[in-house]
Amino acid sequence: MLKDAEKTRYSRQIRLFGEVGQEKLKKTSVFVAGAGGLGSIVSIYMAAAGFGKICIVDCDSVELSNLNRQILHGGQDVGRDKALSAYDTITSINPEVEVEALVETISEDNIDTLLQGCNLIMDAMDNFPTRYLLNRAALKRKIPLFHGAISGYRGQVTTIIPGKTACLRCIFPRAPPAAIFPALGSTCGVIGSIQVTEAVKYIQGAGELLTNRLLLWDGLSACLDEVACERNLGCMDCRDDTR
Amino acid sequence: MPDGSRKEMAVENTAIEDVLRRLGINPVEVIVAKNGRIVSEEETVDAGDELKIIMVVHGG
Repeated sequence: MLKDAEKTRYSRQIRLFGEVGQEKLKKTSVFVAGAGGLGSIVSIYMAAAGFGKICIVDCDSVELSNLNRQILHGGQDVGRDKALSAYDTITSINPEVEVEALVETISEDNIDTLLQGCNLIMDAMDNFPTRYLLNRAALKRKIPLFHGAISGYRGQVTTIIPGKTACLRCIFPRAPPAAIFPALGSTCGVIGSIQVTEAVKYIQGAGELLTNRLLLWDGLSACLDEVACERNLGCMDCRDDTR
Repeated sequence: MPDGSRKEMAVENTAIEDVLRRLGINPVEVIVAKNGRIVSEEETVDAGDELKIIMVVHGG
């Protein structure tokens, strides 16, 4: 049941999907992998929307060079653990949300523990090896993975439903070379916002998900494009899953 | 092309990896859509096919 204050806080969303829909968000526990540029947008909008629990994980501390895009953190947070800074920001935006903030490196060893009780995985990582780890964990647990990535003016985003759609490895069979990437906060805003919209749609059962489609944002030309993708029957990550 | 430009090439049953090589593009950095659908680089292309070469981004 929603409290009176929640009915007021979420009144514009309740116009969209009703109190029942708002309660669905409240019952949803999300795992946000990373408290950087994408993790900032994703966790802030998920908290504001009233997802019931947000577990956010990041092993790094805040640096001055993060602040152009990582809006979870401010100048006073430089040197603090990002996860702890994230905790403060998210709880100040919406104290109704339960927040778990962990200073951890996501690895094979802890992924099962980290994902305990989570219904959705939000990919806000900055590297493909960890993304593949999230992909395999999503497949194993049969929970959706909302992928996003950015570089400079560009971003890509897709929604993965285990057992039904192309997985991350089907779309990206191998990791691009690691490199320091240029980053613009507003690009994180575009891509992270789409990831959150997808998560809301998934929970509400509304609209058409961004599945088996890779959406490409090019901020320089202000164009959104998309390409179709499909399951790769030989995919090393999902080939054993039933259709 | 990854920079948004277009280029026409003469191909005949040509593997996409060969197309990438001819264009000087490192296949590790891209995925390729043929006629709007992502395909593996072992796939071949013929006259009339349209390839979209997408630079994979990995930042967060």
